[in-house]
Amino acid sequence: MAHPLVEIENLHLSLIGGAGPVNILNGIDLAVAAGQTVSVVGPSGAGKTTLLMILSGLEQPTSGRIQINGIALQGQSEDALARFRRQNVGIVFQSFHLVPTMTALENVALPLEFAGAEHAFDRARAALCATGLEPRISHFPGELSGGEQQRVALARAFVANPALILADEPTGNLDLETGAMVMQLLFDLQQQHGTTLILVTHDAALAKRCHRTLRMADGRLADL
Amino acid sequence: MSHPATLPQALRLVRRELRSGLRGFGVFLGCLFLGVFAISAIGSFTEAARSGLLTDASALLGGDLEVEINHRPVTTEQLTFLQQQGPVSQVRSLRTMAGSADGDRHALVELKAVDGLYPLYGAIGSEPPQPLTTALTDNGALVEAAFLERLGVSIGDTIHIGATSFQVRGILRAEPDRSVRAFTLGPRVLINLSGLQATNLIQPGSLVAYAYRLKLPDKTAVDGLKTDLETTFPDAGWRLHTWRDATPRVRFFLERMNLNLTLLGLCALLVGGLGVSGAVRGYLAGKIIHIATMKSLGAPARVIFTAYLLQVLILGAIGSAAGLVCGAALPYLVAALFGAGLPIPLVPSIYPATLGLAALFGLLIALVFSLKPLGAALQVPPAVLFRGYFDAELHGPSRPVWMAIALTAMCLAALVVASSSDQRLAIWFIVGAALCFGLFRLAAAAAIRSARRLPRPRHPALRLGLGNISRRGSPAASTLFALGLGLTTLVIITLVQGNLNDLVDDTLPGDAPAFFFLDIQPQQVADFERTLRALPGVSRIERSPTLRGRITAINGIPAEQATVDPNVQWAIRGDRFLSYAATPSSANKIISGSWWPADYKGPPLLSLTADLGRGFAVKVGDTLTVNVLGREVTATIANLRQVDWQTMELNFALLFSPGILEQAPQTHIAAVHVDRDGEAAVFRAVTSAFPNISAISTREVLANVSRTMNRIGSAFQAMAAVALLAGFLVLAGAVSADQHRRINDAVIFKVCGATRIDIIQAFATEFTLLGLTAGVISALIGSLAAWGIVDGLMQTAFHLKPWAILTTIALGMALTLSLGLAGTWKALGQKPAPWLRSE
Repeated sequence: MAHPLVEIENLHLSLIGGAGPVNILNGIDLAVAAGQTVSVVGPSGAGKTTLLMILSGLEQPTSGRIQINGIALQGQSEDALARFRRQNVGIVFQSFHLVPTMTALENVALPLEFAGAEHAFDRARAALCATGLEPRISHFPGELSGGEQQRVALARAFVANPALILADEPTGNLDLETGAMVMQLLFDLQQQHGTTLILVTHDAALAKRCHRTLRMADGRLADL
Repeated sequence: MSHPATLPQALRLVRRELRSGLRGFGVFLGCLFLGVFAISAIGSFTEAARSGLLTDASALLGGDLEVEINHRPVTTEQLTFLQQQGPVSQVRSLRTMAGSADGDRHALVELKAVDGLYPLYGAIGSEPPQPLTTALTDNGALVEAAFLERLGVSIGDTIHIGATSFQVRGILRAEPDRSVRAFTLGPRVLINLSGLQATNLIQPGSLVAYAYRLKLPDKTAVDGLKTDLETTFPDAGWRLHTWRDATPRVRFFLERMNLNLTLLGLCALLVGGLGVSGAVRGYLAGKIIHIATMKSLGAPARVIFTAYLLQVLILGAIGSAAGLVCGAALPYLVAALFGAGLPIPLVPSIYPATLGLAALFGLLIALVFSLKPLGAALQVPPAVLFRGYFDAELHGPSRPVWMAIALTAMCLAALVVASSSDQRLAIWFIVGAALCFGLFRLAAAAAIRSARRLPRPRHPALRLGLGNISRRGSPAASTLFALGLGLTTLVIITLVQGNLNDLVDDTLPGDAPAFFFLDIQPQQVADFERTLRALPGVSRIERSPTLRGRITAINGIPAEQATVDPNVQWAIRGDRFLSYAATPSSANKIISGSWWPADYKGPPLLSLTADLGRGFAVKVGDTLTVNVLGREVTATIANLRQVDWQTMELNFALLFSPGILEQAPQTHIAAVHVDRDGEAAVFRAVTSAFPNISAISTREVLANVSRTMNRIGSAFQAMAAVALLAGFLVLAGAVSADQHRRINDAVIFKVCGATRIDIIQAFATEFTLLGLTAGVISALIGSLAAWGIVDGLMQTAFHLKPWAILTTIALGMALTLSLGLAGTWKALGQKPAPWLRSE
């Protein structure tokens, strides 16, 4: 493999719970090439979402090495990870996580604004158009359907043209038909941008659409 | 099926709701506590002072009955009559100059001479402690500590008063019959009557007050005795005070202070009402699903409404009770800490009527500000359980709830008017408060709409900050409202006080006289003027003869029965300086009628100032009766004149025509204009050559008045600070209620790549803009209101104080920013991963 975009070596994460330490990740090794699509499947509580949190820099591992796009994440400060995220990672959540008091346009423009990018709102408008939401740019999340909210979230994730997209069960809160439409959009955008995609899903059919499927169980990852 | 009673069901619900504690009601309780504390503290303090004045009435008066007369003693017949009623203590009071032994230093003093029976009630306190007779015998004197400082003398030193020397025997610490006055012209010096005799200061026409205090075997017989005296000596020209109406000026002052401070306390309570409203709204926002669930299970709306209303009332009772306890405790605390040092005796006690009134205000405020959010939340449809979304702000309360709000507000207004001693002022307060509320609502809405309409700023922090202000559900409106009202109160008080201070600034206005000299005997006039003209810097001397007299009838109607405007009531309370003149001075502008000829010799004519004319509702041709040294003089008003008292030129409200008063015992008063550099020489020359002449430095008087007004102003500023504190609490509540949203936003910002600095900048921008807007609105509305008070009510020139405006704006920004960022700290520290997992 040419130099991988994502490299994880012996990753561990333990959290302190009320009843003592809980080992969430127990030695993850992973290498993902640029442009590859990877699905992660597994039972609830296996650690799939936690893996995405670490890949996005939203959580720090207890030990191990993680490098994305040549940048080592372990030991970085919170602000450094924020700066890493705005340029390299886009995230799509199951619950959308849009700012409810901002319009669709403002939500999408956020990563560009924090990055100090030029023409942030023009680019955000273009990203929304690419998801078919131009008529809804001034609408608040509360005025959008679930599918529309997730399309806004997709636009936000792709707007800064990141190297890596992380999607955590993006269709979990959507009906079948809407979910299928959203996933199609996700894969289309991934192809257009050539972005690396790591997708957590319970949907086997969806997992098969990716180049590679990994199974998470008991905090460990294995290729299927 | 029968319907179960509403109240028991509601009470059961209340018990279950309150099991989870009072979390989230800190601001509610705090706001009610502050407002009720302010009102109950002021009321309790005033009642304690009133009781103190009544309990110590005889001691404050100096007797059970006091006969007060100016310029002359009572006749032998009158004195005999008094002495037949009981022991009579005689006291003389006058202002005069006292000098150091070497004659280098002089000071104006309030001299009081007493007889062997003084005091009939209470005791004099001195340092070192000694019997009063010992202290005053053989030309001894007790002096206030300020006198020692002013003259640079010590206990044991000799001082000169009039033609005699006295030895300072001690410091006067307590004087039971000392009238509580807002300010005095000089420190007290106490001597005995034989000492006063030796000073030779008692001359015909001298401005001496004679007081005769009686101690009666039966205090309750005092009213009968007063009537006897009025009947037996109808033309005595004296004033009679009984222990029941002792210290009327103090009581008047106390009433005004109580009224004004209570209204300010109400301001604090009104501002606190916003906190109540915000807290109830926030609490009920978290109960939407509760309410929808209860409705879906068949609970009638009236049961739910009653349950939450009862919660509000119970919590309101807790907050108010805490305020009442602390308010009632304040007089005890003040008495314990300051005790005998207080100018007014305090009798701390629990005053149920006062506390009841404060509690009622608290209850009504809690109701007025809670009913709307209660009513709105009750519109929750059970269907929200499926839809998952309900915006209470888009649904107003039902019509019956609006009617209840209106009714409660009217009860509150009625209570303000009914409990106020000045109902006109109370009505103005209600109108002003309603206007302020309306103006602030408009101003806040306009500010938020403007924020929405502004072009999108380039800087993300500015855009996010502006966006946060104008977003739906933003606490900006309540923040601007509450903080703005508190700041406005502070601006009004600061500007009004600043303008009043300008009036009495120790910088003399333009060509005001530097000195007023009193008690110039007629035979001293020539020497006095010669002495002054020989001194450098003396540019002008104005001099007039002067007597004291009391207005006893207006157009034949006794003064106490005539209808007199409250603004000029002072003119019929006690003696006034008056004079006579053949020609008018240039300081007088005649606006009605005409001046008499210089050689006029006809029936008595009077020139009256226009403000008195308006206040007495008299015109040229009407009559005024004045008692001058026991003689009733009825004069026809010949003219009304406009006088600008602010120039401080020598003038009199009442000027008689010549030929009436020339033979009456009188003294002269002079106003002397001298350069600043020459003032010291003039003071020294006059006080050395004429020990009986009192010298009043205009500069010192103005400084004295300014100091006194600042002291009084402190009480008002303290109340304004309470109102501001209430606004601060409301702001804290608004920030706290918004916490969840801020954390949510901060996490999403972090997901999108925001550093902590980015987030701080966004929130700081929001709070800075809010504080700036609140400050600017307060400065505008407060300046307008202050102008209305100073220019409209007080009819004085209004000057805007830029420093007051800038300070208000800066204070608004500082408070909002500090509190906002303190509240944001939690959002900043929130780790994204745990939040995202839980959401």
